[in-house]
Amino acid sequence: MISLRNVSKKYRTQAGYKVVLDNVSLEFPVGKSVGILGLNGAGKSTLIRIIGDAEPPDSGSVHCDQRVSWPLGYSGGFQGNLTARENARFVARIYGESTRYVEEFTREFSELGEYFDEPLKSYSAGMQGRFAFSVSLACNFEYYLVDEALETGDARYREKFRMAFEERRANASVILVSHNEQTIRRNCDMAAILHEGSLVLYEDLKEALLEYNILQNQPR
Amino acid sequence: MSMHAAGLAVDKITPARVLAAIATQMRVVNALVLRETKTRYGNYKIGFLWALIEPLVGVTVFVAIFSNLRSDSPSGMPLVPFMLVGFICYGFFRDPWGSMQGAISNSRNLLTFPQVTTFDVILARGILEIMVCFFVLGFLLYMAHLAGFEVRCERPLGVLIVCGLLCIFGLGVGFLFASLEPLIPSIKQFGSQVMSRPLYFSSGLFFTADTIPAPIREYLLYNPVLHMIELVRGEFFYEFETSYGSWSYACTWAFATFAVGLLTHQAVHKRAIVKK
Repeated sequence: MISLRNVSKKYRTQAGYKVVLDNVSLEFPVGKSVGILGLNGAGKSTLIRIIGDAEPPDSGSVHCDQRVSWPLGYSGGFQGNLTARENARFVARIYGESTRYVEEFTREFSELGEYFDEPLKSYSAGMQGRFAFSVSLACNFEYYLVDEALETGDARYREKFRMAFEERRANASVILVSHNEQTIRRNCDMAAILHEGSLVLYEDLKEALLEYNILQNQPR
Repeated sequence: MSMHAAGLAVDKITPARVLAAIATQMRVVNALVLRETKTRYGNYKIGFLWALIEPLVGVTVFVAIFSNLRSDSPSGMPLVPFMLVGFICYGFFRDPWGSMQGAISNSRNLLTFPQVTTFDVILARGILEIMVCFFVLGFLLYMAHLAGFEVRCERPLGVLIVCGLLCIFGLGVGFLFASLEPLIPSIKQFGSQVMSRPLYFSSGLFFTADTIPAPIREYLLYNPVLHMIELVRGEFFYEFETSYGSWSYACTWAFATFAVGLLTHQAVHKRAIVKK
């Protein structure tokens, strides 16, 4: 279970403070995949970075008692001038997994072929996404934090990822950030909406999408 | 320590959790050192040669100057080992500092991983530099020995202890600069242009304190690195006992700076992460 307790976060911008999270408390139910909807600039990526402990909140705390992935995105924590193999080994080491297993799994699952031994900076965005997802699947997390990047790669490859996640559904959940309804609908059991500093969780996915539609069509 | 890293909530601190956190931290630092080695030296082999060339250039230049200037060795020490010890040991202080100061800015993407902290990325760089310095010290002294120079170490343990002091001092300055650099980027220029050159010329790399006229020496002896270099030569050479290098002065500076560096990091690291 992941829970947020009184989490606040704001940024200083030219126009003054921008509040991303205003005293948010929320429990993500066990075994459910949750989508997080929000307009552009609502702070979805910041939220998922805070959930994944990649960035500290200004106040409040995040609690969890399961293995949570790092926030998966296109580049994430990878170093461009190292090869996919070297990056995979690094991930294996910091998570205490077998380097050989992670390396092999990633090589096969990502289907990068000879690119596997080329520096990541020579990859297209799609290939980087493929690599990031493959490494994270190799690590067997209980929670996968995903920042938009499920839309990566070609259709056949997307399908492969969906299958892999589907297989893991029994022991693993996804927290997925997107402004795309389709993505949320396909991958999540419920959804939360992040808007103007507050995060509201809807048990019913349809209701959440409806609310989000209203939000999108509101004149700003 | 990150709660994700330990895989547990942080509500209660138990010995098991502390151990788990320490294990994670060691894993992470180890992975970072390996990765840093790859990025620094892996792609081009010549990279590692630089670690040797850098002190060699300094030594060659000053050996050339001094052997023309006067015939006798400084304070009776053999000239080449005298220079080698000075220049290489200075690296124990300067190299960790130089490499650590950009650690946070250059490793932002690594901080995406919850168990990788700013402390880890800074420390990993320092550890790598220190290991390289020890290798360079051993390698170049052995090469000097093979080349026929007189290399005899009086108190190896003492030499290691002073090198340790230089490392602690360098790590302290490194932590200080690394923590402040994301908030005040110009501190890097301040370090390389205002601090590093005077330190290079005043730390006794190519002289001993007793050869400097007293009024100037008085000022130079405020520099803790000069004390450390004096001490390391005193430990290394049979011919030389330092009358100016002070253990207490060197230790005070090294440990106080180390503490200041760590405290500064603790105070600002959350702000330093967010700063883009």
